Amino acid sequence: MVSFVTARPAPQAAGTVCSAVPVGRKFLNTHTKKQTDMDPSEVEFLAEKEMVKIIPNFSLDKVFLIGGDLGPFNPGLPIDVPVWLALNLKQRQKCRIIPPEWMDVEKLEEMRDLERKEDMFTPVPSPYYMELTKLLLNHASDNIPKADEIRTLVKDIWDTRIAKLRLSADSFISQQEAYAKLDNLTLMEINTIRAFLLDTLNCMYKLRSNVQ
Amino acid sequence: MPCERKPMRYGHSEGHTEVCFDDTGRFIVTCGNDGDVRIWESLDDDDPKFITVGEKAYSLALKNGKLVTASSNNTVQIHTFPDGDPDGILTRFTTNATHVTFNSIGSRVAAGSSDFMVKVVEVSDSSQQKTLRGHEAPVLSVTFDPKDDFLASASCDGSVVVWNIEEQTQVISWPLLQKSNDVTNAKSLCRLAWQPGMGKFLAVPVETKVHLYERGSWDHVSTLSDDLLTQPINVVSWSPCGRFLAAGSVGGLLTVWDVNSKLCVERQKHEKGFTVCSLAWHPSGSQIAYTDTEGCLGLLDGLGTSTQVAAKKPAKDYDDLFDDDDDRLMDEGLSDTKSPAKKAVGWDDDDDDFLVPATGRVKNRGAFLDDENSLDTGSLKLGQDKFGDNNDDAGSSVAPAAPPVAPLRPVYEGPMPTPPQKAFQPGSSPAHLTHRFMMWNFVGIVRGYNDEQDNAIDVEFHDTAVHHAMHLTNSLGHTMADLSQEGVLLACPSTEELASKLQCLHFSSWDTNKEWMVDLPKGEDARALCLGQGWAAVATSTLMIRLFSIGGVQRELFSLPGPVVCMAGHGEQLLVVYHRATGFDGEQALGVQLLQFSRKKRQLISGEPLPLSQKSYLSWLGFTAEGTPCYVDSNGMVRMLNRSLGNTWTPVCNTRETCKSKSDHYWVVGVHENPQQLRCIPCKGSRYPPTLPRPAVAILPFKLPLCQTTTEKGQMEEQFWRSVLFHNHYSFLSSSGYEIDEDAQNLSQKEQQELLMKMFALSCKLEREFRCVELAEMMTQNVVTLAIRYASRSRRMALAQRLSEIALEKSNQMQEEEQEEPEYSSTRRTSSGQPRVTNILDNMMSSKKSAQLSSSGGKPSKSPVLKPLAPKPKTKVPCAESVFKQGSISRCLCAFRPKTGFQLWLEENRKSILADNPDLEETDVIKEAMGRFRTLSTEERLLSNQLKLFIFKNDFRSTDLNKTDK
Repeated sequence: MVSFVTARPAPQAAGTVCSAVPVGRKFLNTHTKKQTDMDPSEVEFLAEKEMVKIIPNFSLDKVFLIGGDLGPFNPGLPIDVPVWLALNLKQRQKCRIIPPEWMDVEKLEEMRDLERKEDMFTPVPSPYYMELTKLLLNHASDNIPKADEIRTLVKDIWDTRIAKLRLSADSFISQQEAYAKLDNLTLMEINTIRAFLLDTLNCMYKLRSNVQ
Repeated sequence: MPCERKPMRYGHSEGHTEVCFDDTGRFIVTCGNDGDVRIWESLDDDDPKFITVGEKAYSLALKNGKLVTASSNNTVQIHTFPDGDPDGILTRFTTNATHVTFNSIGSRVAAGSSDFMVKVVEVSDSSQQKTLRGHEAPVLSVTFDPKDDFLASASCDGSVVVWNIEEQTQVISWPLLQKSNDVTNAKSLCRLAWQPGMGKFLAVPVETKVHLYERGSWDHVSTLSDDLLTQPINVVSWSPCGRFLAAGSVGGLLTVWDVNSKLCVERQKHEKGFTVCSLAWHPSGSQIAYTDTEGCLGLLDGLGTSTQVAAKKPAKDYDDLFDDDDDRLMDEGLSDTKSPAKKAVGWDDDDDDFLVPATGRVKNRGAFLDDENSLDTGSLKLGQDKFGDNNDDAGSSVAPAAPPVAPLRPVYEGPMPTPPQKAFQPGSSPAHLTHRFMMWNFVGIVRGYNDEQDNAIDVEFHDTAVHHAMHLTNSLGHTMADLSQEGVLLACPSTEELASKLQCLHFSSWDTNKEWMVDLPKGEDARALCLGQGWAAVATSTLMIRLFSIGGVQRELFSLPGPVVCMAGHGEQLLVVYHRATGFDGEQALGVQLLQFSRKKRQLISGEPLPLSQKSYLSWLGFTAEGTPCYVDSNGMVRMLNRSLGNTWTPVCNTRETCKSKSDHYWVVGVHENPQQLRCIPCKGSRYPPTLPRPAVAILPFKLPLCQTTTEKGQMEEQFWRSVLFHNHYSFLSSSGYEIDEDAQNLSQKEQQELLMKMFALSCKLEREFRCVELAEMMTQNVVTLAIRYASRSRRMALAQRLSEIALEKSNQMQEEEQEEPEYSSTRRTSSGQPRVTNILDNMMSSKKSAQLSSSGGKPSKSPVLKPLAPKPKTKVPCAESVFKQGSISRCLCAFRPKTGFQLWLEENRKSILADNPDLEETDVIKEAMGRFRTLSTEERLLSNQLKLFIFKNDFRSTDLNKTDK
């Protein structure tokens, strides 16, 4: 029989930082050094709420959780569950994970090429593509065909996007713009640059005001 | 015509190579990408002589001691043969020549080039050139007409052109080939070949076929093809006698046809499957040398082609005799083939046209052969020449190899019998695959691997709680498998030494022996097998079904009326499908038997025809998880047994409707009735899924093919009948002694009644009162009262009147049943003396339901009893009373509702009930409730008919209860 984890393990920081709210708040008080931006593990935590298909190898009636009902689990029959549960079951060898549709070499290659071609950010297959790739490939690479290629491709897409992000940040600063519009950015991408960018802007503001 | 394929040997470095024999046949001469021409004394010659002709040699031709090569320096040069001294340059092009060839006497050379030109040059005087212009792309190949009038060339522009050499004009041009921009990009080298001798035919390789064009008329007279040829033919070459045509294809297939009969007389495969780019006949016609694009040289030896003519002289007389006979028969046969029924035989019109003029010359040919016989010449060459001269005759006359009997067969135009489909295991992919599913059912998956490295079987369970995965080496060569919660059953066909074996891995056994094996009697092969609960069945080639217990005890055996197609087992049921007769015109004639091995063994379906879609065959057979027989045909139609309609088969789903493309299929792996799920694997472009990547199961909904399901009425009707069909299994299960999930059954009944009520309301709205009454007849009594209220509220008093009659009828019926019940059940119980072992199939119920049931053991339900009660034979009256009491209690929830119907509409009947019913307490309660209800309902009647919605949305039972409480 399968015993479910009753509480979903949260990242260490999640206890102190309300993971969803600070996005807005941080913009307001970025000068307070204490309030750093979201940790990658926190973003990952959010990503774990995404649904993924698994094929369970056990049978269980519906389970009633705060986040919603899951199941019933029929052996051999695909079912959608959140990533955190899928990984937990996978670690206990209770299921096989079916990779999301976009996690496919051909589709990712197309996406990579498009990303390289376009100057703007292209829409990503999933708002948590990086996190999901990392999570699924780390824990269930045996269920994902061509795992290594997928890892490389997603890294390529990520690198291209981060490079674009740096470029646009650079032009933003050098042209002294007041605002910039960036579409199709994922949470993880925003968080990789936020701390650095905002601190830099603050510093530059201070320096400039001192000069005048 | 068996021939020996000599092993390939290295000839040149990788790239295009060409090969030819010298005039005497002593040497094989090849040229290749390394720019060398090699002269091999035999295939085993390890130190061939070589002549370097350039950086690369594209083509070579050899005749009369002159070796002509096309090399990379854009020239066509001559070397002496066999010495290899340069003998001048014949001609030049602006780019390299692609193909060079001699005419039949060796006086002229034709060369085609990548600069779109074809040149014809006199060997003796290279200044005498003729240039043929007109191609619009590089020239692929050139060939001379043996009479030297014409020249044929093929080009990358897709055309094959016949030129008049003298006039340098195009005689005819056929657009036959795929266009390309260069020789290296061309799909095929398209090496043309003109029949030696009279040059009657020009052979042109077009894709996977060879077209033959007739000289002069330039008509496409016939086509040579072979089913095994799947890739384009690169090169064709006539045997020196002109009777056989050899072709080498891109995939490395070498094919030799007898041109007269158009039959393939020899097929050989290149040992590595490399593309054959050149082939040449030995002048004797007994060998073919060929080279591939990887630079290797090969040889086919022992071709019995022209040697038949020259070498088998002693047998010739008899051969001729038979030839004559055959030919004469042929004459007679031809008149037959002229009859309108030509299509029935394998000869097409071309053949007939081709054969008719030949008949007149048959005798001549016989004479010619006799002549040759009497000449008794040892010289092969002479014979060849003679043969060549008469080629026109020989080529068109009927050869002994032709099947002249074919047109003689009496022509039958009626329905043709269908080849009966082979036995198969439902849920398996075909046995010829190296990696295949041997079984996929709701327990697990059995995969078979049979390649060079491994011959193994993997067993995997969907639910790992059943058993862990297993890996077995398949040393016996099992081809069939079935899987259940108790064991794995495997069977292999017999071999020359070993008998057909049945192996069972009985992993659920509690002793230490988890395996048993049984040899079938000699000459008996296992064809199909299945596992049930506690038993196994094998259908064999002797039209028998053998039953075994799961532990290996042999049980009953019985004969089948026909060869088995497949079997399925579930619980105690065995479903067998077999060939009932021969099907015609693509139909299969299948029969089905359904047996039950419970305490009372019986045959539920005894050999009735199995309905299939038109021109389809059976592709899956099985039971739903709940135990209803079910099958799928190759047209994707899923049919299920309808036990409530005299064991008929109802189509419940057409999987092809959900397919995106025509070649997509769904591979069914399981059917569930509750919840209604058709579990299947979508297969893109095939009927079977591959083992890797691991296919995922999809779920399809069921849909009865009722009319007008787009309308609300049609939809509800479909839902209703589907619900009825998919809940048949409750009554079957309870009648065969299984415990059932009562909650689910009640839910389904409620659903059906709700649907009926909705349809009733819809018909009311459409003013179809007759239809309303029809629907009411299908309702249960409780719902009829609701319907009455609905009708009266919507001011249809006539309808309400009729409905009340129905309600009365139903209540009467119910009472009769109630009174009959005790006797019925008591007799039943006495007859079923011993206590029944409750058999619980895993999928049929959840554990909590069984607990509930056992706790309320005495509470009877509508279905016949599940738990045996102690028989009370003599005290009949108290027994009946007690049971009735129980019955009335069981109906206490619903009993008063029918009575509200009486009290509203018929007072007298209540009195009769009172008289019948001695239990006053209960009736008092009911009476009270009725009174209250009457007042309530009159109040309600004053309300607007907005209550419609209220009725639909609320649980009928609960609303009623609430009202009575008030």
